[in-house]
Amino acid sequence: MNITRINVGPVHPSTHGVIRLVVDLDGDTIVNVEPHIGFLHRGVEKLAETRMYMQIPPYTEKLDYVAPMSYDEAYVATVEAAMGIEPSEPAKYARTILLELQRIASHLLFLGTLCNDIGQMFTVFMWAFKDRDMVLDLLQEAAGSRMFYVNMRLGGLNQDLPPSFAEHALSLMDYMEKRVFEYEKYIEKNPIFNERMKGVGVLSRDKAKELGVTGPVLRASGLNYDVRKANPYYVYDKFHFNSKTLQDGDNYSRYKVRMLEMQESIRIVKAAVRAMPEGSAKGMPVKLRSPVPPNRISIVNRELPRGECLMYMVADPQKPYRLSIRSPNFINLAAIGSLARGARFADLFAILGSLDIIMGCVDR
Amino acid sequence: MMEDQADASSEEFANARKEMDKLVYESLKGREVKPNALFAKLSDLTRNLPPTKELVNWARVNSLWPLQFGLACCAIELMDFGSARIDAERKGYLLFRGTPRQCDVMIIAGWVTKSMVPEIKRLYEQMSSPRYIVAFGECATCGGPWWESYNIIKGIDEVLPVDVFVAGCPPRPENLFAALIKLQKKVGGNIEG
Repeated sequence: MNITRINVGPVHPSTHGVIRLVVDLDGDTIVNVEPHIGFLHRGVEKLAETRMYMQIPPYTEKLDYVAPMSYDEAYVATVEAAMGIEPSEPAKYARTILLELQRIASHLLFLGTLCNDIGQMFTVFMWAFKDRDMVLDLLQEAAGSRMFYVNMRLGGLNQDLPPSFAEHALSLMDYMEKRVFEYEKYIEKNPIFNERMKGVGVLSRDKAKELGVTGPVLRASGLNYDVRKANPYYVYDKFHFNSKTLQDGDNYSRYKVRMLEMQESIRIVKAAVRAMPEGSAKGMPVKLRSPVPPNRISIVNRELPRGECLMYMVADPQKPYRLSIRSPNFINLAAIGSLARGARFADLFAILGSLDIIMGCVDR
Repeated sequence: MMEDQADASSEEFANARKEMDKLVYESLKGREVKPNALFAKLSDLTRNLPPTKELVNWARVNSLWPLQFGLACCAIELMDFGSARIDAERKGYLLFRGTPRQCDVMIIAGWVTKSMVPEIKRLYEQMSSPRYIVAFGECATCGGPWWESYNIIKGIDEVLPVDVFVAGCPPRPENLFAALIKLQKKVGGNIEG
């Protein structure tokens, strides 16, 4: 056996950020993949120890910059758990809507970049980004900013959803429903797409369990675990939705699970907008001196677009003593070795794309 | 004598450019663009022009190719910049290239960690001259929110020369568009450095 060692990255068009992969090849077959991470490390957890409670959301948002609202919410929910604050009923609905919109935007970006990676250059990318822009416009209407919102406050949101929001959200969701159908219709008939996705990078059910992967990657391997179902927060238990599970565990299932999840998100947004109660969703204004948290340790888990995030906080009177973040991306990235082993070299990027890794979240 | 020559050639270039603009305009007006015929006509026009500074600048300004290189959050806005809404190609700089050897502009989109500095330097050295750098966003400009972090350098201008700074966290894609138009002016010599 003649092993060739190839270095990929840290700057590479298909690595979705800055990751270095050292690949051992036997001919064209991958023997081993060794990811080198840390090119984006900036010490969020350490910085959080020097900031007051409501100064930290801008930092946690930048962990996963494709779904900032989700991380924003996860952190603020942790502080709420420490302070013993329960969000108001309209705030719960509003947060659910915003989180699901963020999930749709995140999965659209996944779709565009994945299709770029496997050679459907730029067509799907253009479509997906056009639709993502429309979702971002809606979020901008709600939160006032395009990408980083810092919209969550203790007990609610920074501002109420505008009066026109419900109408715009419903019409956009109608449009998105059609678009998701169109994507599936056009993409899944493409022979190149099927050839590169089906049966490539198979993650078995047992291996997925062993590695601890979460989110769509886990659900594509046949394990039905979704925090929204297992430990429902906000109003997720009030609506009927399925956490879709597929059995194959290959690239195609990982793509398909996200497409199905987008449809479910659209259903949740529609139902939540229709059922939204009257009243203000506003939370507490940000004050320099926050109330002393009664609970020293708080743990919150959330279903982010890329998997389960767990935030563990030890509270001090004015600032966290320790904030520890279980990043779903970091643990999903660990699967790259067992997924790529035995695959062809060209499939490495299809596999990496289907895992949907955000390096900012991996390196923290 | 030399000045006369220069004047004559730049006049020639100006005339040729007028004609080129007319050709492009007419081909667009007809709604039926035949690129091959148009390019043949354009190359006929430009083939015999003396290689003056104006001609070189004109070509350079209208084909600034950025490197496909994203670091962090701003890279998502960089992708949006290349997508349907902004349509950066109409100004000549969409063609994101995967290799630095074909590129003119490097857009630093994101925070720069200490371990990333040697890699960015190597990329910059691989680009052929003239090369330009746009610091996109607060982090690349001055460290941004990570000012107190132990692993972030406070702005890419500590290690490499920057041509245009763009403020914002992250800047909207329109801001990048404006910045690149500014860079075009700088490359074309219309404004002072």
